[in-house]
Amino acid sequence: MTHLALTNICKQFGETLAVSDFNLNVEKGEFVSFLGPSGCGKTTTLRMIAGFEVPTEGKVILDDVEITDKAPNQRNVGMVFQAYALFPNMSVAQNIGFGMQIHRESKAAIKQRVEEMLALIHLEKKGNSYPYQLSGGQQQRVALARALANRPQVLLLDEPLSALDAKIRVSLRAEIRAIQRKLGITAIYVTHDQEEALSISDRIVVMYEGKIEQVGTPFEIYNFPQTAFVANFVGTLNTAMAEVVDPAKRLLRIDGVQLESAEVMDDKRAGDKVTIAIRPERFNFVAQEMKANVLDCQIDNITFLGSVVRIQLLIGNNRFYMDTFNNPFLELPKIGDKAQITCSREAVLVLKN
Amino acid sequence: MKRSGRVWSWFWMILGIIYFFLPLVATFIFSLRAKKGVISFLAYQQLFNDSAFIKGFSYSVLWGVLTIIVGILIFVPTAYWVRLRAQQFRTAVEFITLLPFVIPAIVFVFGLVRTFSHPPFLIVDSPALLIAGYTVLSMPYMYRSIDTGLRSIDVRTLTEAAQSLGADWGTILFRIILPNIRVAILSGAFLSFAIVMGEYILAQYLAKPAFAPFLAFLIQQKAYEPAAATVISFALTWACMGIINLFGRGQQGTIAGGH
Repeated sequence: MTHLALTNICKQFGETLAVSDFNLNVEKGEFVSFLGPSGCGKTTTLRMIAGFEVPTEGKVILDDVEITDKAPNQRNVGMVFQAYALFPNMSVAQNIGFGMQIHRESKAAIKQRVEEMLALIHLEKKGNSYPYQLSGGQQQRVALARALANRPQVLLLDEPLSALDAKIRVSLRAEIRAIQRKLGITAIYVTHDQEEALSISDRIVVMYEGKIEQVGTPFEIYNFPQTAFVANFVGTLNTAMAEVVDPAKRLLRIDGVQLESAEVMDDKRAGDKVTIAIRPERFNFVAQEMKANVLDCQIDNITFLGSVVRIQLLIGNNRFYMDTFNNPFLELPKIGDKAQITCSREAVLVLKN
Repeated sequence: MKRSGRVWSWFWMILGIIYFFLPLVATFIFSLRAKKGVISFLAYQQLFNDSAFIKGFSYSVLWGVLTIIVGILIFVPTAYWVRLRAQQFRTAVEFITLLPFVIPAIVFVFGLVRTFSHPPFLIVDSPALLIAGYTVLSMPYMYRSIDTGLRSIDVRTLTEAAQSLGADWGTILFRIILPNIRVAILSGAFLSFAIVMGEYILAQYLAKPAFAPFLAFLIQQKAYEPAAATVISFALTWACMGIINLFGRGQQGTIAGGH
């Protein structure tokens, strides 16, 4: 059942169309991330759900009630900000209890809920501390507890981990996800970090220039990008122009080499130009005599990335990357060596645009 | 730093101290010589026994406090709104707040008298006009102090965080914004108080009892008491500055979420 619905949402700032024709249905308890580069409209969309921006067109519906024109303080929506936004004049406990105080809940109820929230974020002993006495990670956990204390219908998180260092970011995102699962709350998460979105979400909405490019599970977004933008934005991807040789047999040609794809090409004709995409980890060195999808290449560079070794290859005029897992006994070619690489037909994606 | 450079630094600093403090010290010593040949606080005693001094001083304190209250009520919401929603008007508002530096007080007071001395605005006799005048005169100090305080916090995000928790504008202003800029407000308040305590022209031409007109009158009548009153006036101003520093020192460090 749809819990949050965004229908035909448009937002215009003067001449600039920040968000256009945005449609999304979010299920109860779902964790959805808005992913995209700066200026793609993801935060604007989130702010329209929070009520800080009013859509130029379209509707925001929460639990079958239209809230498009409701003031932010009239919506039961919790929000976590990138800059934490804890009230500096209040202690951690006062920050967490602020929303309940506004809603005139009893002192006993506030005290009990604050204790629950402090336990949830593992900061039981920090209730009397002030925000300036906490680390960035602790402050953001308090901000999360404060947003959850009011039992909001939806939790909105606007790049909540961007101001934190890498290690804390990873641990806190796991914590956020665990808390969201435990409470079963619907969450909308804005990020420009694809790894964060892939690791935390039930579904990802990839946005570009105010429009939805693709909506899907992290698995779908990564493995089956539908547009060139999604393919390039999410993960590293080799893209190249190819010519359709035989649409029925799904044969393509790139720099004179024939490639077989698993993609349906009913709408293509022989001679059509298409963009193909292959993930670096889908390539392997040819181990034995193979005939299909074999590409001659020259090793251009080798980069050690820890768990992965990235090999840069020259294939005709195209520069491709190939990733292989690192192991201490890995035999790598030398720069300048000639080699042959291959990939499965399922690895050759044909992009829509 | 080279030795000669350090010597010159000390030289200019001592020269500055002498320039500022010598007249004060001289005034203070002079104020102690009311009794011939004896160092005493007689001038101060006589001053405090003078009902006109007490009246002028008390009224100035009252005008100062009222000016501060009116200033806070006007300038906190204005500066907050300009920062939050009307950034495009910031330059214009800042220019307006500087006008009291540009327009001489004497011109300002004649403007007030002319405008408000006949119907429909016949309020020239009301202390409200004096308070309004003082509020305008203290505007550069009050507004800028508040604006500086607002600059030190993330006004927009704090406001939105409070709104998302269900707070209305009144709650946001009084429970979130005001407590977080209290040091800035206190600075503005004490500066305004010091301005009002030393202000002569407005009180004189609007014919209201105040400390500065009393001091001017006293100078024409007596010798030692005006010196004592001047020292008291300085002491009061410095006490205000000291309190500003005291509160400023107790301010919490910048936290994440602030600029």
